[in-house]
Amino acid sequence: MGKNQSLSFQKGDFLAIILVVALALMVALLFLPGSGSKQGTMVQIYQNGVLTEELPLSQDRKMELSGAYHCTVTVKDGKVAITDSDCPGEDCVHTGWIQSPGRSIVCIPNRVEVRVTGGSDVDFVVG
Amino acid sequence: MKKRLLVLLLSVLLFAGCAPKFQRLKQYDATFLTLFDTVTTIMGHAQSEEEFREQAQAVHDALLQYHELFDIYHSYEGMNNLKTVNDQAGIAPVVVDQKIIDLLTDCQDYETLTEGRVNVAMGSVLRLWHEARTRGLDDPRSAALPRKEALEAGKAHMALSSLVIDREASTVYLTDPEASLDVGAVAKGWALERVAAQSPAGLLISVGGNVRATGPKDDANTPWVIGVQDPKGVESYLHTLYLTQGSVVTSGDYQRTFTVDGVAYHHIIDPDTAYPSRLWSSVTISCEDSGLADALSTALFLLPQEEGQKLLDKTGAKAMWVAVDGTISYSPGFNEMIRT
Repeated sequence: MGKNQSLSFQKGDFLAIILVVALALMVALLFLPGSGSKQGTMVQIYQNGVLTEELPLSQDRKMELSGAYHCTVTVKDGKVAITDSDCPGEDCVHTGWIQSPGRSIVCIPNRVEVRVTGGSDVDFVVG
Repeated sequence: MKKRLLVLLLSVLLFAGCAPKFQRLKQYDATFLTLFDTVTTIMGHAQSEEEFREQAQAVHDALLQYHELFDIYHSYEGMNNLKTVNDQAGIAPVVVDQKIIDLLTDCQDYETLTEGRVNVAMGSVLRLWHEARTRGLDDPRSAALPRKEALEAGKAHMALSSLVIDREASTVYLTDPEASLDVGAVAKGWALERVAAQSPAGLLISVGGNVRATGPKDDANTPWVIGVQDPKGVESYLHTLYLTQGSVVTSGDYQRTFTVDGVAYHHIIDPDTAYPSRLWSSVTISCEDSGLADALSTALFLLPQEEGQKLLDKTGAKAMWVAVDGTISYSPGFNEMIRT
C-alpha cells in the first residue's frame, strides 16, 4: 500500500462517512426535545376503564358506542371527536376535536374515554 | 486503513449510544371515571400488568374513601360526609371521620394564607353557578347566569368563621344555617397528596388535572414529562415540563365553562365579586404538596402577579401565568422545570 493511497479518501470511506452523518442526524432529530410531532397517531377507546378499541388516527371512520348512553366517536382528517351523545350535559361533545397525544375526551356519565396516543413522549397533559 | 478503522469505531460508538437501555419494567396506565366527577389517570412501571393493576386499584380505592367523604351532592350509607355537615348547618354538630377534620383544618390555613381567595365556605355562591352551568349545558338555548340578587344573598353567607371544628369531639359544625361547604377548589389535590404519600414510588397520578409524581419513572431516574395545554389553542402545549417528585396543576378559564349570549363563563369564582375571574387565562403551579398546589392555583388565578408571587415566596411554590392576551410570565425557578 503506497503512502499516497493510504491518506487519500476511498469511495467506500466517503460512503461510510455519509452514512454515519445521516444516521447521526436521524438519531439527533429523534431525540431533540420539541421536535416530536404534536399530532398523535392512534386513538384508544376505554369503556369502564377497559381498553376496548385502538384505531389509527389516519383512517376516517365512525363508531357507535353503547353503554349507559349512546354516543358516536368520529375519526376524521387526523382528529377525533365524540360527535353525538345522548348523555346529560354532553360535556364530551363540547370538548370538540382533539389530535395531540395525551389529550382525551371523557364522558363521565357514559364511562367512556377517547384518548390520543403515539407520536410524542409526553406522559400527561395538564390544563 | 486508519480512516476506515475510525469510521468503523465511530459507527460502533454511535450505535452503542442509541441502543435502548435494558428494561425489564413496562409502562402501564389505568383510567377511572368514578372519582370526584372527573378523570383519574394512574401511570407506572411494573414487571407485569397484574402487578400494576393491583397498585392502581389500591390508589383508586384509597381515593374513593376521600371522594365519598368530601361529596356534597350524595349521601352514602353509614357515613357522615360533607353533605351531612351542610344538611346540619345551623342545626347540630356532626361527628365525622378524622380525614374531614384534617381537610377542613388545612382549609382554614389555606384561607388565612390566601387572605380569603381560597374559601371552602363559598357553597352558597358556588351552588348557584353549578346549577346555572348544569342547566346551560343541558339546554344551551335557555342558558342564563345566576341572578345577581341571588349571588349577593349568597355572598352574605360565606364567612369561613361560621365553621367550627371540634377536634376533641371529632365534630364539624356550620353555625350559619344558610352557609355551606364546597371543597372543590382543594379536595382533589388534598386527597391525592394523602394517597400519594402511601403509594409506591414511581407512579404518576392525575386526579382531574392535579398531577402528582411519587418519584421518577424508572431506576434510571427518568423524569415524567408533563405537557401544559395552551389556553388559546387546545391542540398544542405551551411547554413540556420535567417532573420527578411533587405536583403540578393548572387552573384555566377554559375549564368547566358554559356559554351565555356568546360569552363563556368558567368555574373559578372570585369571592369578592361572586363572578368568574377575568384576570388570567391560566395559571400553572408546581410544588411538593398537591393539596397546597391545588389551593395556590385557585388563589393565584384570582390575584395580580405581584400578590401571587408573595404567596409563592411564603410557600416555596413556582408558577407560570398566562395572561388573557397570551403573554406568559414565570416565577423565579419555574424555568428549571421546563423541557421545551
